[in-house]
Amino acid sequence: MLNWITTYIPPWFWILLVVHLGSLGTVAYMILLERKVASWAQDRVGPNRVGLGFGIIPKLKDFHFWGLGQPLADGLKFLVKEDYRPKNVDKLLFSIAPMLMIAVVIVSIAVIPWGGVMQSTIQVPLGTDAVNVAGADRAVDLPWWMSAASVTNIFYLPGNQGAEVTYRYAFQIADLNIGVLFVIAFLSLAVYGVVVGGWASNNKFSFLGGLRATANMISYEIPLGLAILCIVATFGTLSLGDLVDKQLHYWAGFIPAWNIFTHPLAFVLFLVCIHAEANRAPFDIAEAEQELVGGYHTEYSSMRFALFFLAEYAGMITTSAVCVALFLGGWHLPWVEWLWAWTPVDPANPGVYGSIFICIFNALVFFAKTMAIIFVFMWTRWSLPRFRFDQIMQLAWRALIPISLALLAGTTLVIYFFGGARRENMQVGEGMAIALLAANVIIAVATLFISKVIPPAPATNRRVKVENSRFNPTTPAPAVIAN
Amino acid sequence: MKDSDLLILQEPHLSLADTFYIPQVLKGLGTTMKHMFAVVAKGEHKVISYPEERREDLPIEEGGINSRTYRGVHRLNKDEEGRVKCVACFMCSTACPARCIHIEAGESPWEDREKYPVKFDIDELRCIYCGMCEEACPVDAIELTGTYDIVGLTRQEMIFDKSKLLRMFDETVKNEPM
Repeated sequence: MLNWITTYIPPWFWILLVVHLGSLGTVAYMILLERKVASWAQDRVGPNRVGLGFGIIPKLKDFHFWGLGQPLADGLKFLVKEDYRPKNVDKLLFSIAPMLMIAVVIVSIAVIPWGGVMQSTIQVPLGTDAVNVAGADRAVDLPWWMSAASVTNIFYLPGNQGAEVTYRYAFQIADLNIGVLFVIAFLSLAVYGVVVGGWASNNKFSFLGGLRATANMISYEIPLGLAILCIVATFGTLSLGDLVDKQLHYWAGFIPAWNIFTHPLAFVLFLVCIHAEANRAPFDIAEAEQELVGGYHTEYSSMRFALFFLAEYAGMITTSAVCVALFLGGWHLPWVEWLWAWTPVDPANPGVYGSIFICIFNALVFFAKTMAIIFVFMWTRWSLPRFRFDQIMQLAWRALIPISLALLAGTTLVIYFFGGARRENMQVGEGMAIALLAANVIIAVATLFISKVIPPAPATNRRVKVENSRFNPTTPAPAVIAN
Repeated sequence: MKDSDLLILQEPHLSLADTFYIPQVLKGLGTTMKHMFAVVAKGEHKVISYPEERREDLPIEEGGINSRTYRGVHRLNKDEEGRVKCVACFMCSTACPARCIHIEAGESPWEDREKYPVKFDIDELRCIYCGMCEEACPVDAIELTGTYDIVGLTRQEMIFDKSKLLRMFDETVKNEPM
C-alpha cells in the first residue's frame, strides 16, 4: 500500500494538500490573532469565550481555550448567513470577483519553497524510460510524475527485479524557475477582484474603493518590483528555492548570509510595498471604513464576503512568505546545522536533505518566520493611522520609486565592480556583502538629507471655487461693517 | 474677549530626526508594543470579565458600582405587615417622563388608607431609569434597585406587573434595605 502511494501519488500532491488546507486554516486563526493583537494594543483581552466545545459538547464546553473556537464559529456564521445580493448589481461579475481574488491568491502560494530539497529513494520496475544518469545502463519505469532530470542515482537490484531510484524534489508545490515573477504576476491580479467587486456592486462607495485600490496597486507595484529586482540581480536567479539556497552559508563564520543584512533598505521598501499590496493599514484606503462605508465589499455578505476576507489574509501569508524567502533566509535556522549532520546530506549542496522530518522542520521554521512578518503587519495596522489618498500617492511616486531606482542602480554598480567574474547563481561573499550594505546605507542616508532640499509637492487639496459657498466663494465675501 | 484671554499654543518643535518621520513611526510602534507586552505578559488589561466578575462586587475605584445608588429595575416596597406600601396616588406615573407606569387604583381593603393599586404595571422597555418616580413617591413605595440583568423573550414579559415588582422587593431587600 505504502509503495503504491509513493509510486503513483507525487510528493507535491501531499505538499499541495497540506499547504492549501494549512494556509486556509491559518487564515482563520490569523483573523483571531488580528483581533487579539488589536485588543492587546488597546489594553483589552480580545475574544476569549468561544472554546472548542461550542456550548454543546459535554466536558469540553466548560473550557474557553483562549477563544480558539472563535474562527470556527465565525466560519459557521459566514456559511449560514443570508447571501444577500442587492438589486441592479452585475450578477455575473458580482459573483466572480471574490472567486477571482481567492483563486489568484491561492495559486500564488504554489511557488513558496517550504523546506529545501528532499532526497528520497523509490523502488521501480525495469521498463522503458531511459534515464540519463551515470551508471544507468538499463532502462527503468519511472513513475508518471518523476522527471528523468530529478534522478541522481540508480541502484539495480539483483536479477531483473527492478531498481532503486534516488531522486530529488523541491519541497514545494511547484518548483518554477520563474518563481518570483510568478508570485508578483499573480498577486497583482488580485486587484482585479477588488476592482471588479467594486464595479459590480453598483455602489459609489464600493466603486471608489475599487478605484483607490487600483491606484494604490499600480503605484506600489513599481517599488516592490524594483526591490525584488535588487535581490534577483544580486543572485542572478528568479527561482525562490535557489534564492533561499544562496542564503544558507555564513559570513565570517557566524553571521547568517541573509539578504536582510546586505539589502536592509530593499527589505524596508519591500515591507512597505507588501503592506500596500495587501491593502492593509496604513494603506487600507480601498476599504477605509470611516470614508467608504466598507469600501469594495460594502455590498457583500455571507460567503462571498468571507472569500474577500480570506483572500486578504491569504495574500498576507503569500507576501510574507515571499519576504521571508527573499530576505530572511527562507527555512534557514542558523547555527543548528550540526543537529542533522548524521543524515545523508550532499556536502556540496547544503539545501538537500535526506529525511522528510528535516524538511518538515524546515517548513515549520519558514512558517514561524512568516508568522513573525504577519505579526508585523498586524502590529503596524494597530499603531499607525491611515494615510490620506494624496499622501499615499506622494509616498510612492516622490519617495519609494526614486529610492528604489537609486537602490537598483547602486546594487548593479556594486555587482559590476565587486562581483568579479560572477556567473549566474552565485553566493554573496564577505567583501561583496559589505559593499552591498554600504550601498544601501549610503542611499538611505543620502535620501534622508536630499528629502530636505527637494521642493515640496504642490498642494493637492486645491479648493474649487463655488458660487455662494461659505468657504470658498467665487466672489470675495463682503467686508463686515462693524455695527 | 481681549487678546490677553487668548491661549496661544506653540506647535511642538520637531528635531531633525523627527522630520524624517521614521523615528516617530518607530516610537509609535514602540508604544503599542509596550501595551501589548503589558497585557500579554503582565495581564494589565482594563477588562471586567462580566458574568464572572460583576461591577457591584468591585470597589468603586476599580470601576465598581454602588448598588444602593444604582438606578436599575424597579421594586414595590412592602410595609411591616407585608402589604404593598403604594397608596395609588399616581404621583409616579405623572412624574414619569417616559410614561411607562400604568396604575389602576381601587378602594383599599385596609383601614389606614383610602386607595391601593389593583394593577401596577411598569414597561421596563419604555423606562429610561431616570428615578423620577422614586423622587415623586410620597410614601417611598417605589424604588429603583441595583438589578440590571433582566432579560425577556417577548415584549410582554418585560412589562412588570404588581406581583413581579413585589417579588423584586423580596429579592433585593436583603442587599438594599429600605
